[in-house]
Amino acid sequence: MNYHTESLRNALAAEYVLGTLRGGARRRYQQLIMTNQSIAETTWLWEQYLNGMGGDITPVAPGENVWESIQEKLGFVNKNASVSEFKAPSKHQSRFWRGPALLAFAASLLIAVVWTSLSPSLAPPVTHIAVVNDQKTNPLWLIEISDQQLRVRATDQLVALADKDFELWIVPANGNSPISLGVLPKNGELSVPAPDSLKSVPINVLAVSLEPLGGSPTGQPTEVLYTSNLINV
Amino acid sequence: MEHEELFPLLCAIADGKRDEFAELYAKTSAQIYAVALKMLKHKELAEEATQDAFIKVWHGASSYQRSKGTVLTWMVSIVRYRALDIMRYHNIRNEVTLEPEKDGPTTTIPVPSAERKRLAECIEELDDQQRQAIHLAYYGGLSHHEVVQHLGSPLGTIKSWIRRGLQSLQRCLSL
Repeated sequence: MNYHTESLRNALAAEYVLGTLRGGARRRYQQLIMTNQSIAETTWLWEQYLNGMGGDITPVAPGENVWESIQEKLGFVNKNASVSEFKAPSKHQSRFWRGPALLAFAASLLIAVVWTSLSPSLAPPVTHIAVVNDQKTNPLWLIEISDQQLRVRATDQLVALADKDFELWIVPANGNSPISLGVLPKNGELSVPAPDSLKSVPINVLAVSLEPLGGSPTGQPTEVLYTSNLINV
Repeated sequence: MEHEELFPLLCAIADGKRDEFAELYAKTSAQIYAVALKMLKHKELAEEATQDAFIKVWHGASSYQRSKGTVLTWMVSIVRYRALDIMRYHNIRNEVTLEPEKDGPTTTIPVPSAERKRLAECIEELDDQQRQAIHLAYYGGLSHHEVVQHLGSPLGTIKSWIRRGLQSLQRCLSL
């Protein structure tokens, strides 16, 4: 299909943002956003056009559990701590973080200890971690990055495909094309020197694509399956 | 107004500031949750979409660009895409009401920005059928086929209403 036609780009972007582009067409379009700057920009334009409509819906306050869950998932508070200690934010509680700060620090220490215990004693300190989950949030790969090393461990939740490989990508925050970090292990662990791109490129998310054996034949993701946020530790 | 208020918060969030993240949540969560609830209809799923959206905002604040719309528009984009993913994953087929949801307390409607006022004017200029089809798809997250079931017109007609409505909207907004 000729995506270079402005009218076609607009038609696809509009239906993507509206949500009526579905199934395989939607997945293919998501890949195009990642690989084609003009398609990404057209999509942003339509997000501007249409998503102002979302601001016209009558607001509905979510339950306090939503904020509590966000804090837990981001590691700001200890999941086992009594959530009653932490009040949901309001416009008048801008300093409420001071209370949980110690617990957040404790949680971050816990994460650091866990990850350190997974690392060889002489390994350089891990600076970032990511967990790639499937759609049911089962963890498939654990990724840890230090200044010198990229280490990936496949979990037993991963269902390997004999005739396919999985490839890991950086999706740059500046909208540029994804950058390959290599083919992922289907079992066990793989350690490689940390690619320069991990330090030099502002990262939006990591992505995992399904590829023919040996990795992408085009240098760009064939079918993006999962994405994962990179977390500072 | 809302953008001028929210943009400094997003800049601080990009710098890892949790106070400002809490403030952004306080200012926008009711709007974001309302969008998710309108599409997903189920409280638990709307909460899941809202949580995921704010986590993405925390991690992705530095990737925001003005060309993606105002901060609120960008956040609405994030939660709508997440809601569409959840609908697909749970194979939700939507029955739509365009009435306000009764679930949860409503809060004050924010003052619309100039961009949103213009959008509302342009939507008002659409044919009734085009506007209705686009509203069903946008607010309810309906597919073409689901809009067909709701409006009882043939698929080709529905697709045409939506396509032409979107084209008209773009012409109006580009003026």
